[in-house]
Amino acid sequence: MEIQAAGITDVGLKREGNEDSFSTDDAYGLFVVADGMGGHLAGEVASRIAVEMINKSFRRFVDNRTPLEELFGRPDPSLTRLGNYLSSSIQLGNRTVFEMAREYDQYHGMGTTVAAIHVTPELIVAANAGDSRIYLIRDGSIERLSKDHTIVSEQVEMGMMSPEEAETSPLKHVLTRNLGSSENVLVEVFEIEPLNGDTLILCTDGLTDLVSDEEILRQASAGGDPEDMCQKFVSTVLRRGAHDNTTVVSVVLSGMARAKNPPLKRVAFFCADILFGVQRFIKKFMP
Amino acid sequence: MARMILTFNKQVIKEYPLLKGSLTIGRNEDNSVVIDNLAVSGYHARVDQTGPDFILTDLQSTNGTFVNNEKVVSHKLEHGDKIIIGKHVLLFVSTPKGKEDAAPVEKMDMDKTMMLDTAKQRELLSKQKTAPAGAKVPEKIGVISFIDGSNLGEIELSKKLMRIGKADTSEIKLSGMLMGSTAATISRRPSGYTISYTGGMAKLKVNGEVVKESVPLNDFDTIEIGSYKFQFYQKDV
Repeated sequence: MEIQAAGITDVGLKREGNEDSFSTDDAYGLFVVADGMGGHLAGEVASRIAVEMINKSFRRFVDNRTPLEELFGRPDPSLTRLGNYLSSSIQLGNRTVFEMAREYDQYHGMGTTVAAIHVTPELIVAANAGDSRIYLIRDGSIERLSKDHTIVSEQVEMGMMSPEEAETSPLKHVLTRNLGSSENVLVEVFEIEPLNGDTLILCTDGLTDLVSDEEILRQASAGGDPEDMCQKFVSTVLRRGAHDNTTVVSVVLSGMARAKNPPLKRVAFFCADILFGVQRFIKKFMP
Repeated sequence: MARMILTFNKQVIKEYPLLKGSLTIGRNEDNSVVIDNLAVSGYHARVDQTGPDFILTDLQSTNGTFVNNEKVVSHKLEHGDKIIIGKHVLLFVSTPKGKEDAAPVEKMDMDKTMMLDTAKQRELLSKQKTAPAGAKVPEKIGVISFIDGSNLGEIELSKKLMRIGKADTSEIKLSGMLMGSTAATISRRPSGYTISYTGGMAKLKVNGEVVKESVPLNDFDTIEIGSYKFQFYQKDV
């Protein structure tokens, strides 16, 4: 499997500083974006610390093949080992930001969102807390691999608000989860099987506030390398006023086995089908 | 769209769109706006839509309903009205979209991402019985039930990613010479459960249709992999 990845962050046109951070690590297949909050430089510090901490601990867990019971936080039995590594790294990032915010006056009240993916030839792990998103673009359609932890999206999920109302709600940016504001954070984690040609996009709300899912799909499908893709997203945001910092990381997977079936294989498939039909027949009538 | 914003100690707790044109406020759980506080009556007040207007009516509550600090029995709500019930304040917002700057709650910079925080509010939210922010939608878990005569019975989809196939590492192990080592996977995603074909000679069919990539799963879909046949459904945890 070949991973091509790129990331860009842009301060935008309205904000004075850039509170977003990101990292790309092709060797470990780890990609992270974070959107910091908190006055002065605190937001910047929160997102940077979180990204660094996640990278450092994830690499350590992978290198040492850390047993699940030695991880930070309780392991989740519904996840693979790598899924637990990523979740635990994010929980560690939360604890670090939380402790710093508590310890130092100038960092009081700081926090950050996180969206992170880990990619191997067998598995994609997607994890998030807050409203930074992870998109999967596959076979010409787009799907979210993250959940927005905001009041409005939780109300939409419970059927108390329509998605249209959520778009215009004044509470759109009020988070229910982030890193830094409480001792422990519940990380949302999804795991899927990768396919050849998958494109993954990680981004902060600077992008998603101004660019719809359909537009993201269209721009990502237009081709070009990940660098171009990120550049195009940022230009679109800047054209539309860029009221917030914008960060985009794009990851393209290629060179994986499982190509289209050659003719001989198709004949084999046909024979296999007949065989299975017979087998099913036997099962049904001769228990 | 008109809506009510429930606040406590100047902190926003939740927003209630006036969808059906009426809503009730009280301590009992079957109200649309539940305020779990002894100062609030079981059924304290209600709001009804009459034409373009919204009328607030006090339901003979013990401690009364106040609008902008005046006790009311019945009151036509204006944009920005503060309805005071016990120690909670419900803000009525009715202006068309884009003109809401006048609403007091938006004096905060709502454009900026912020965290629903403060210890007090967390405590309050944990006490709120009806679906407060951070509450969970009732959890469901997917199950597959074999209907092919094999004695595999029912298997709960206890992992976010379930691999189905011949390999020993598969969460659901199916035998057969032509079965792929990983023939298919079922993954739980933000949008729900999805099944994907991953390899092998055994075809994946959902409701009789061959699946070459992935499809979302709905309750009672029938899935076939080789000679195996099973049904998918979701049950409450």
